[in-house]
Amino acid sequence: MLRSLKRNLRLDALLVNLSLLLIVLICLLPFLWSVSSSLKGREELFQTLPTLFPQHPILGNYEFIFTRRDMSMIPINMLNSFKVSFLAVLIQTSLATMAGYAFARLDFKGRDLLFYTLILLIFIPRAGGLMAVYELMDALGLRNSHLGLALLFSSAMSTAVFIMKQNFLSVPRELEESAIIEGANTWQVFLHVAVPLAKGGMVVVALFEFLYVWGEYLITRTLIDFPELDTLSVAVSKITGWAALFTSSAFSTYGAEAAAHVVAMVPVILIFIVMQKWFIRGLTDGILKM
Amino acid sequence: MASFPDVERAQQPAPQRSAWAEFFYQVRTLRSQKWGNLWGYVFVAPALILYLIFQAWPIVRGLYMAFSDYRWIIPATHGWSSFNGLDNFTEMWADETFWTSLGIALKFTVVYVPATMLLALFVAVMISKVKNAKLAGFYRVVSYLPVILPVSVALVIWRSFYHTEFGYLNYFLKSSLGIAKPPNWLGDADWALWSVLIAAVWMTFGHQALLFLIGIYNINPEQYEAASIDGAGGWAQFRYITLPMLKPIFVIVLVLSAGVLGTTVEVLVLFDTGGGPAESALTTGLYIYRTAFAVGDMRMGYAAAMSLVLGLLSMLISGVVFKMLRTERA
Repeated sequence: MLRSLKRNLRLDALLVNLSLLLIVLICLLPFLWSVSSSLKGREELFQTLPTLFPQHPILGNYEFIFTRRDMSMIPINMLNSFKVSFLAVLIQTSLATMAGYAFARLDFKGRDLLFYTLILLIFIPRAGGLMAVYELMDALGLRNSHLGLALLFSSAMSTAVFIMKQNFLSVPRELEESAIIEGANTWQVFLHVAVPLAKGGMVVVALFEFLYVWGEYLITRTLIDFPELDTLSVAVSKITGWAALFTSSAFSTYGAEAAAHVVAMVPVILIFIVMQKWFIRGLTDGILKM
Repeated sequence: MASFPDVERAQQPAPQRSAWAEFFYQVRTLRSQKWGNLWGYVFVAPALILYLIFQAWPIVRGLYMAFSDYRWIIPATHGWSSFNGLDNFTEMWADETFWTSLGIALKFTVVYVPATMLLALFVAVMISKVKNAKLAGFYRVVSYLPVILPVSVALVIWRSFYHTEFGYLNYFLKSSLGIAKPPNWLGDADWALWSVLIAAVWMTFGHQALLFLIGIYNINPEQYEAASIDGAGGWAQFRYITLPMLKPIFVIVLVLSAGVLGTTVEVLVLFDTGGGPAESALTTGLYIYRTAFAVGDMRMGYAAAMSLVLGLLSMLISGVVFKMLRTERA
C-alpha cells in the first residue's frame, strides 16, 4: 500500500512538472523566437524548415538598427524611453515618499480624508480621460514633450503613496522621536532619519513605475506626433520602410525588426530578474493590501 | 534563480473598515480634528498638486465633455460653449457601430475573464505543488515574463507569429499537427478576435497566477495536513480548502478584470484603428479611440460620452460581482 502511494506521488510530481514545462514553453517561445530571428540572415529566415537555433548566427541586424541612422531611429527611441522612464521614476518616487511620510507620521487636519480620497479615486472610471488629457496637455504645451509624459505618468500615484505609507508605518519610530528631542525639524527628520529606513518601499515604487512607463503605449502614441520623439514601445509597433531594403545573408528586414523587439524587451527582463524579490513585495504590500 | 522569500512572509490584509466607511467617517469628524503639524501640508502638496492637475482634472473635464459636441478639429466647439445636453446619448442609442462594438467587447470579456482566471489558477496550483524551491522560483519567474513585456512588443511578436506565410504558428499547425488549412489568424473575420484573445490571455495570465500563488502560500499548511489525515484527496483539498481560502484573491482579480470591457491597446496594436477584417475586432474601446483621435472632426465629445457609458457599465459589472462574492462569504 505504501509503495503504491509512493508511486502515485511520483506520478503526480511528473504530471505537475510536465504541465508546467508546457507553460514554460508557451511563455518562452515568443522570446526565443525573436532572439533567434534577430540572429538570422535572409536565407535562414525564409528556409522552409525554421530552426530555433540559427546555424549561421549574425549580428548584422543589430548593427543595422544601431548604426544606420538614416533608416533606423531605434537608438533615439531607446534614449527617449530611458529619459521618460527615469524622469517619471524620479518624480513619482520622491513625491510619493514625501506624501507617504506625511500620511504615516504627521498629524494634520484632514489627513486621513485626503488619503482615503486618493485611494477611492482609483475606482472612479476615467470616462473621457484620454480626450481630457489630450486637451490638457495641449493647453499646457506638454504635447510632444518628454517632460509632459513623465509628469503625466508619475501623477498616477495612489498605489505608490499607499505603499510608502505602509512602509513608514512598518519601521520603528523611536529613532525619529529621539531626533525630534535633539531639536531636528520635521524636514530633517524625514530626510536623515526616515528616508534611509524606507529605501525598500522606494525601490518597489521605482520598480513598478519603471516597468509601467517603459511599456506604456496608448497615451504615448496619442500625445507624441513625431517619430523622433517616440519611445521604444511605440516605435517598435510602427516600423515601416525597412521592407524595401536589400536583404542578404548578413541582414534581413524581418531579422532587424526582431532585433528591435529584443532591444525593447531586454531592459525590463533584466530589471525584473534582478529585482524579483522587490517585485513580490510590491504586489503583497500594494494591491493585495488595498 | 533566486527564491522569493517575501512570498512566504506575505501576510493577508487584516479585516478592517472598508475604504468607503473610513472615508465617510473622516468626512464626519473633519471639523473636530486639530490643525496639528502644518509640515504635513508641505509634504503632501507636491504630490497632491500633480494629482489634481493630471488625474483629478481629466475626470471632471471628461465628464463635462460627454455632454458637449466637442470636435478637436473645429476650434469653435472647444471650451465650455458646446454643451449639447443628452444629444450624444440619443445619437449613441441609434449608432449601430456602437452597439456592434459593445457586443464585441462583451464577447471578448466573457471569454477572456474566465479563460485567464482558470489558466492562472491552474498554473498557480501546479507551481504550489513543486517541492523544489529553486524549480518553483524558475516557474514563477518564467510565467511572469510575458506580463512585464511592453504590450506593444508582445503584440508585435504575436503578429509575426500569426503571419499566414512566414508565421511560426501556422508552420507548427501544418507540420506537427497535420492541419492542412490553418486559419488566416489576423486576416479572417471569424478568427481576428480570437487571435487578440489568445495574445491577451498569454500576456496577462501570469499576473493573476502570481496573485493566486501568493494566496495559496498564505494558507496554513496544517489545514492540508489535517485534511489528509481525515482522508481528503487532492481534489477535495482543492475544493474545500484552497478555493474558499482564495476568495479574497478572486475578488481582487475580478475587480481588476472589469477594465477588460474597455480593451483598446491590444486591438490598436494588432489592427491599428481599422478594427481588423470587416471590423470584426472593433471593440468599444477602439471605436472610442478612433472617434476621438483618428477620423473626421476628432469628435471628442461623442467619444467621451461613449466612454462614460462604457465606464459605468464596467463599474456596474464589477459592483455586481463584488456584491455576489461578498454576500456568499457572509
